[in-house]
Amino acid sequence: MSDVQPIIRFENVAKIFPGNVMVLDNINIVFRPGEFVSLVGASGAGKSTLLKLIYAEEVPTQGEVYFNERPVGKINRKHLPFFRRDIGTVFQDYKLLPQRTVFENVAYALEVDGRSTTEINEEVPEILEIVGLGDKTHKFPKQLSGGEQQRVSLARALIHRPKVIIADEPTGNLDPVSADEIIQLLLEINSFGTTVLLATHNKGIVDKIGRRVVLISKGQIIHDQNKGKYILS
Amino acid sequence: MLKLWRTFKEGKENFIRNGWLTFATVSILSLSLFIVSLSFLLGMTSQLILQNMREKVSVSVSFNPDVTEERILAIQKELTTYKKEIASVEYVSRDAALEQFLAESGNDPTIAQAIKEIGENPLFASLVIRAVKPDDYPLIVSEIQKSTFQNDISRINYEKNKKIFERLDRINKMTGKTGLALGAIFIFVAILITFNTIRITIYSHRQEFEVMRLVGASNIYVRMPFIFEGVLYGLVAALVTVVLLYGIAYYIAPFTNGAMAQGNFMNFYLNSFWYLFGGLILLGITLGVVSSTIAIRRYLKS
Repeated sequence: MSDVQPIIRFENVAKIFPGNVMVLDNINIVFRPGEFVSLVGASGAGKSTLLKLIYAEEVPTQGEVYFNERPVGKINRKHLPFFRRDIGTVFQDYKLLPQRTVFENVAYALEVDGRSTTEINEEVPEILEIVGLGDKTHKFPKQLSGGEQQRVSLARALIHRPKVIIADEPTGNLDPVSADEIIQLLLEINSFGTTVLLATHNKGIVDKIGRRVVLISKGQIIHDQNKGKYILS
Repeated sequence: MLKLWRTFKEGKENFIRNGWLTFATVSILSLSLFIVSLSFLLGMTSQLILQNMREKVSVSVSFNPDVTEERILAIQKELTTYKKEIASVEYVSRDAALEQFLAESGNDPTIAQAIKEIGENPLFASLVIRAVKPDDYPLIVSEIQKSTFQNDISRINYEKNKKIFERLDRINKMTGKTGLALGAIFIFVAILITFNTIRITIYSHRQEFEVMRLVGASNIYVRMPFIFEGVLYGLVAALVTVVLLYGIAYYIAPFTNGAMAQGNFMNFYLNSFWYLFGGLILLGITLGVVSSTIAIRRYLKS
């Protein structure tokens, strides 16, 4: 496994927020294509910041993050949108556009890419079928349950066929059954070869997945185990 | 091209789906445009009315009855050489003056009878002088009073008109100044209100910008729908304003009948309709687009 070129690599990364708040401290970690990684740790441990550094929502104070061996921090602001189309993101609060239907929310990710309408009309229903929302395409987000909204968000993240899916507490607002469905979907996506980075503090979920677990505490990596469990430090 | 069309469609969609917010923004923008254009139109109208009145004003110089017609015509000729100051000099003979007087008194037979009994035409021949610029009347009058033919003159009906001239001048200058000042204030207020309203509209979308950028929308793609929305605000507001102005013109028109060279306010409005409409659209769109552009900038910075 170690001879495979990493898809994401952190090299001596530190992130200091204004007011000298050390959020991440000397992070060195490698994620390889096809991995399913659970990032665990208490709230405020630095999980979200670590993920934000990958999709360039934050810039490291020190060190460098590489995506396919390209330094993320050096990407021109103009090219950022194109870069982000390679990464699908899912969040605790779904981040759907409230004034658009399920279909339109997913289609938006393709529209910004300049895809043709025929292409959009083909691909969007297909992906909505995969996440199990084939019958809700013309509903608005507020007409859906939390689990369903998260699935829309997931469909939108998948529509570009990204190399990496970043899921930041995707189950934080969901009941156990819905949460389980989302995790199952993520595992399914991963089985097709997409790298999945999942940040969570839900011990039950991590133990059930039984894949690589990275524990972060106070901005540092404490444990990094293949086939790990959530270890309380 | 496809992207441009999509962002346009999206702007249109926002415009329709936002319902109340759209209604509020368009109302504010319309009101602003309405106030600005109304103060502009009323200013123009009062200027036109005053100009019209000034053009009707003249000075008439009456000559003693013993002055011959040849002499008067010679004086007329002399006066017309002052082309810079004097626009026209019209000769009104005694007979013409009498005819005019009779016509003005409604051809009353008793008056005609009275004049007949005098046995002689009691009216004087006169020269009616119109100045190029109304400001020149005092100068013209004083020159005539000093001229070689001053002894032939019975009287100049300038003193009576003088007060009217002065008052007209004062009104004219005042309306010009206050109109300009009020217009400027209104425009300033209108811009501020419009800008703030559009800022609120965009503020209500602020969470969406983050989402749009996260799924890979470029800044320009996020911005374009709002700019198109601004264009739509401007267009609709311009339309509303033109309709409102038509209503105002309809009510004001009867009061301005004959007071303007254009007939009345309605004619004036209709004559300048396309300029006005074009100007309003331009102003509305500029306001909408500039406000949108500035308001959205802060959400796209990072």
